[in-house]
Amino acid sequence: MASEELFQNDYSEEPELEQDVEQLAERDERENEVEKEKGKTNGSTVTNEETRHTATNGNKAAEQDHEAKLTQLPMGRVRNIMRLDPDLQIASNEAVFAVTRAVELFIESLARESFTYTVQAKKKTMQKRDVDMAISAVDSLLFLDGALNF
Amino acid sequence: MVERIEDLNLPNAVIARLIKEALPEGSNVSKEARAAIAKAASVFAIFVTSSSTALAHKQNHKTITAKDILQTLNDLDFESFVPLLSQDLEVYRKMIKDKKESKANSKKDASTGDAATSSSNTFADAIEMVTEA
Repeated sequence: MASEELFQNDYSEEPELEQDVEQLAERDERENEVEKEKGKTNGSTVTNEETRHTATNGNKAAEQDHEAKLTQLPMGRVRNIMRLDPDLQIASNEAVFAVTRAVELFIESLARESFTYTVQAKKKTMQKRDVDMAISAVDSLLFLDGALNF
Repeated sequence: MVERIEDLNLPNAVIARLIKEALPEGSNVSKEARAAIAKAASVFAIFVTSSSTALAHKQNHKTITAKDILQTLNDLDFESFVPLLSQDLEVYRKMIKDKKESKANSKKDASTGDAATSSSNTFADAIEMVTEA
C-alpha cells in the first residue's frame, strides 16, 4: 500500500519533470552558485568536500561534467560503495549508472514517504522519527530495519 | 581505491538538494533526519549491489550489468523505479555513444588536418568516396 504510494508519486512527477528539465537545470545552476558563494563567505565544509572530490577524480573531470547532467550523485563514490561487496567482481559502467540513479530515486521517495509523517504530526520540519516511521511502515524498506541505529 | 572512510559517504550537499526537490516548498529537514536518509541511501546501494551480484552469480556471470540492477529492483519491490531508470539508461547509452563518436571524429579531423601532403589527401578522399557510396 505504502509502496504503491511511492509509485504514484513517481508517476505524477514524471511529466512535470520532463517539462521543467530546463528550468530545473537553471535552478540547479543557480543553487550551485549560491552554494559557491556560501563557501566563499563561510568556508563551508560542504563545498570543501566537493572540491576535494573533483580533485580526486581530476583525471576524469570532463567525463564527470558530462555525467553531472544525468546524475546528481557522483558515480565514482557510488562505485566505491558498491566495491564494499566482497562478491562483486566487475560492475559495468551502466550498472554503476543504474545504481546511482536508483539511489537518487530512493532518496526522493524515502523523503516523500517520511514527510507524510511530518505532515501528520502537523510539523513543517522533518525529524528523524518521521524517517524511522516511514521505514517501519513500508515493506520494501524492511532491509533498513536496524541499519540506522548505530 | 578507497583512501579515506569519508570517501564512502555520499556528498551531503547533493543529498540535501535531492530531499529538498522531493518535498513541497517551505518544508524543512532536520540534520538528524537528513543524516538518516543519507545512511539509508548508502545501505540501499549496498543492498542493491549484493542482490545484483547474487543474481549475476546465479547465471554464472562475473560482470553485473544494468539489466541485473533493473531485475534486482523488480525483485526487491522497487519496481516503481524501473520505468524512469530504463529511460535514463537509454539517455546514458546514447550519451556514451555520442561521446565515443565525437572523440573518433575529432581524432580523424586532427590527423587529416595535420597531413596536408597529397598522398594522405587522396587517402582521405578515398575514405570519403567509400563512405558516400
